[in-house]
Amino acid sequence: MNNYAWLVRREFWENRAIWMIPAAVGGFLILCGLFGRVDVMSIATRVPSLAVGEVFLVAVGGTFFAVMSIYATWYLLDCLYADRKDRSILFWKSLPISDATTVLSKLATALIVIPVVYFVGADLTTLIMAFILSVRAHSLLGAALWHADLWLQLQVLWLYLIVTSAIWFLPVAGYLLVVSAWAKRAVMLWSILPPIALLLAERWFFGTHLIAIELWRRLAGLGAHAFRPDGGWVTTVVDNDTIRTPAGVWGFIDAGGFFSSPETWAGAAVGAALIAVAIQLRTRRTEI
Amino acid sequence: MPPVIEASNLTKKYGSHVALDRASFSVQPGRIVGLIGPNGAGKTSALRAILGLTNYEGQLKVLDSEPFRERTRLMHDACFIADVAVLPSWLRVDHAIDFVAGVHPRFRRDRALALLAKTGITGRRRMRELSKGMKTQVHLALTMAIDAKLLVLDEPTLGLDILARRAFYDALVNDYMDETRTILITTHQVEEVENLLTDVLFIDKGRIVLDSSLDEIATRYAAVEVAADRVAEARAEKPFYERRLLGKVVLYFERPDLDRLALLGEVHTPSVSDLFVAKLSGGAE
Repeated sequence: MNNYAWLVRREFWENRAIWMIPAAVGGFLILCGLFGRVDVMSIATRVPSLAVGEVFLVAVGGTFFAVMSIYATWYLLDCLYADRKDRSILFWKSLPISDATTVLSKLATALIVIPVVYFVGADLTTLIMAFILSVRAHSLLGAALWHADLWLQLQVLWLYLIVTSAIWFLPVAGYLLVVSAWAKRAVMLWSILPPIALLLAERWFFGTHLIAIELWRRLAGLGAHAFRPDGGWVTTVVDNDTIRTPAGVWGFIDAGGFFSSPETWAGAAVGAALIAVAIQLRTRRTEI
Repeated sequence: MPPVIEASNLTKKYGSHVALDRASFSVQPGRIVGLIGPNGAGKTSALRAILGLTNYEGQLKVLDSEPFRERTRLMHDACFIADVAVLPSWLRVDHAIDFVAGVHPRFRRDRALALLAKTGITGRRRMRELSKGMKTQVHLALTMAIDAKLLVLDEPTLGLDILARRAFYDALVNDYMDETRTILITTHQVEEVENLLTDVLFIDKGRIVLDSSLDEIATRYAAVEVAADRVAEARAEKPFYERRLLGKVVLYFERPDLDRLALLGEVHTPSVSDLFVAKLSGGAE
């Protein structure tokens, strides 16, 4: 366990972007909150405060989540390639740490450590922004942004998302690790080409597009598997617009459905197999 | 004591290219062994196999481990510097020490700090800010602070100036080496290490062409410097290599009759580098 702690610390030394990007995103959003010309007043007076709070929290959280997905993808592609490229793998391999430990520490960094860092970043940003906006917009908006229950729900939502996406995207992460441990150059290209080639080959020879469907279900399917589409909505009519906001996260979270879905576990099994392949490649491929 | 490294029929192929061709050798504890060969002879392949960095055919035991299958276990007792300056550019010197101290049970931090203090390299600098020579010194400090039974060095002083090189080898022999340790070293600068080696392994075209201690070399090989007019006479003694040198000819003999050679000219024990050239150019065996 001690080795894992050191390896994760090592990832922070190597990839300062792990915390610098969320810090930059947070800083940017806070600057927007400070100087942005958003007409918060008019919104806040007409829309129920709970809806404003929800939209605000989800917008900030969503921004962080989107940036995190892109960064985590890049991290996974790079993590077993960078030290082969600069040959520092010869130093890491001179230490009594197994290749399995190394690969698993990088996987854990991508699927747990990085999301948690972004989660903390999103939380801090929302807190600071809520404070700034409250001050700027006086009392009107203040109440809208300080629903304790809403905050609690957001924490639950984040944790639920971290856990479910770690499991759901395991095959994607495994595939990226395989590419990262295998490619001699151009990891980005190598990660995209094989699926596209397979997809085209299938279409060419069989006229079907099962791979495309399966890929799409995996890449875009977390929402459909982890959440219920209708978890209860609150509808408000403001002027002529109808605003529909979720009544709360509890109705939407579908943990039972997610954890009992065969698709969840079939994907996880494929992911585990790919990770085993990545470990084997790491053992055999020392240099580029 | 069992040998530290025992290889028999060690073979490594890359496609159709045979880098190691049924090489058999052993390294005894407490020795400083030079693995010497021309470029492309299989030195690096042999080292990679010994360190568990690559798969191989044949039998290989290093400190009772099968290197490729048990690299993690092996690295508790062995350490290596494979080529120079492979410390990653983003790594800070103090972090490097913390990390190795954290994951290596045999690492002695005080030793590493003492070694680094001599170089004047300060802790918070990143590798990318250091010159190649400084990077090598950091790596050497990290490695020499590990209480290992086997230390493998692949061109350890490449990029170091002559003062640093001399200091490194002095430290290696005086501070690091003792009877419990074994050092395997490859270098192109044979002259630089031949005084500290106890054994040599010559490797050529993937095969071991000489596996001998320096003491054995002294009894087994001889070189004779003869004047040009007595070369024919000397050739009758069947030298395996000869070299012209300022009007004289130096002839190299294996298992010679020393009394008869002494009549021809001045007899001496060839240096490791001369023997290396003689063995590899002269169509050995």
